[in-house]
Amino acid sequence: MTDHPVILDADDLIAGYLPGINILNGCSMEVREGELIGIIGPNGAGKSTFLKALFGLVPVRDGSVTLAGEDITNLRADQLVKRGVGFVPQTNNVFPSLTIEENLEMGAYQAHKSFKKQMTKIGDLFPVLVERKNQRAGSLSGGERQMVAMARALMMDPQVLLLDEPSAGLSPVRQDETFVRTRDINRTGVTVIMVEQNARRCLQICDRGYVLDQGTSAYTATGQELLKDPKVIELYLGTLGA
Amino acid sequence: MLATLDRRTLLKAALVFVIAAIGFVAVVTLGGGAEAASADPEVATTAATTAAGGNILLQNLFNGVVFGLLLALASVGLSLIYGTTGLSNFAHGEMVTFGAMITFFLATQQPVSLPLLPFSFTVGLPLIPAALIGISISAGFGWLQDKVIWSQLRRRRVAMVQQMIVSIGLSLALVNLIQWWIGGRPVRLTTSIDPRNQYGPISVGNVTLMSMAIAIVALLGVAYFLQRTRLGRATRAVSDNPALASASGIKVDSIIRIVWVMAAGLAALGGILLALYQQGIGFDDGTQLLLLMFAAVTLGGLGHPYGALVGSLIIGIVAEVSTVWLPPDLKFATALGILIVVLLFRPQGILGKSERVG
Repeated sequence: MTDHPVILDADDLIAGYLPGINILNGCSMEVREGELIGIIGPNGAGKSTFLKALFGLVPVRDGSVTLAGEDITNLRADQLVKRGVGFVPQTNNVFPSLTIEENLEMGAYQAHKSFKKQMTKIGDLFPVLVERKNQRAGSLSGGERQMVAMARALMMDPQVLLLDEPSAGLSPVRQDETFVRTRDINRTGVTVIMVEQNARRCLQICDRGYVLDQGTSAYTATGQELLKDPKVIELYLGTLGA
Repeated sequence: MLATLDRRTLLKAALVFVIAAIGFVAVVTLGGGAEAASADPEVATTAATTAAGGNILLQNLFNGVVFGLLLALASVGLSLIYGTTGLSNFAHGEMVTFGAMITFFLATQQPVSLPLLPFSFTVGLPLIPAALIGISISAGFGWLQDKVIWSQLRRRRVAMVQQMIVSIGLSLALVNLIQWWIGGRPVRLTTSIDPRNQYGPISVGNVTLMSMAIAIVALLGVAYFLQRTRLGRATRAVSDNPALASASGIKVDSIIRIVWVMAAGLAALGGILLALYQQGIGFDDGTQLLLLMFAAVTLGGLGHPYGALVGSLIIGIVAEVSTVWLPPDLKFATALGILIVVLLFRPQGILGKSERVG
């Protein structure tokens, strides 16, 4: 993938929620087209904040984010969606009183003419969602909600999909399903950047991982390399092979 | 509309209402009977039989439906604003009065001056064009309010309680402005009298029937908008989860702007029909309606657009029917009593759904 052009480039991001308190102290990342990137790190390292800063949800105080060479730092969410960035939040990621179909329709809000076409496409990835399209999203289980959330973010055919801890709160079986699905989505050509607590499973499927520590991107390597890296094993993975 | 509402929930809601109503009637009848029984048992029985006679009951039930529909016009907007922004808008009552007063200004044959202007105007339009212009001006006022005040406060992330206090201030300012402009006496939108016709046990005027029809059409229109149009579904999405709506590419601020315009227009329509129904409207009628609107919205399920409709009908019916047994002065107190009873059984309101956490 190293020969693919860079699609998303975050350069020395400084960002935080409260005035004067920075959570990110110079985070950088370079993502190439078609890559599946995992961001791992200890609690409080700023993983989710980093993802939110990429999507303009946390104000970036310094540094820049570019998408295919174009500056997208601090753009509004609807403008980012238009430019081909999709975002799946960790919690509250569906519209509970809307049906599954309506949830997906909201995902295609800016491109409603292609809604029907996209529905068929989503049907291939998530057949169960199309079967149960008239069910209210509020009545779904956590794993099913995660599916709706991912499908909603895919409705606009994004170039880059940002996933915030997709496996959080799911049973081990559902977690595996989520990782497999993420891999499938990536194989359709979507660049995926995911933040994960479950570092081992995440690194197993990732092309490349970024290790975040105290608001800076400490280092990056391929998923397989990081899995064998003694420091990563000691800090985040526990014992080898467990 | 019915297809997407959960039938079981509706059934449960109806059941709760029936139980509440029976409980209420039982308490009132037994309470009243007990009180009278100590004086003279025979007189009490006769009084109860005549008072509970079919005519009065049906007539009051009907009046309750009329009032409930008009209340619903006002409270649907309140509920939509609450749903999409989280704001309890205390100035919504004034939007009701404002619409009626603008219509009065345009329709009346008497000269009326505008605040701070030395001349008076007699526009003297026929009622229907006057009402249409009145609704449009009110809707424009809703747009302006959101543009100048509410969107600015949201952008600066002013917290909800602070915003609510701003709305209380705006309510006071508006009600006093209207009093200064129109004066303290109630005004009538039309001088003609609406003769009452007898339909079976119910007597009702043509204007009231027409008002009911307009209210029903307007409410069905709102339901159609929310359920069948893309913009309406986006409105419900914003109600559900504004952050996610934004992340989906919906321009949340434009949706909220539309909601303000709709809410103000519906409130104005409600005010105009109310002025026709009760044959006159005073500067603070809307203000007094506010508590009932809040009650209706809460009773039906906070932020649930159809909840406002159901809640309004219940409040209207309970208020009017209670006058069969209780003094009319207590009618709104009884309606609010029902609110407490229902919330004890269904804390989320009648149509409100208790969502799973996480």
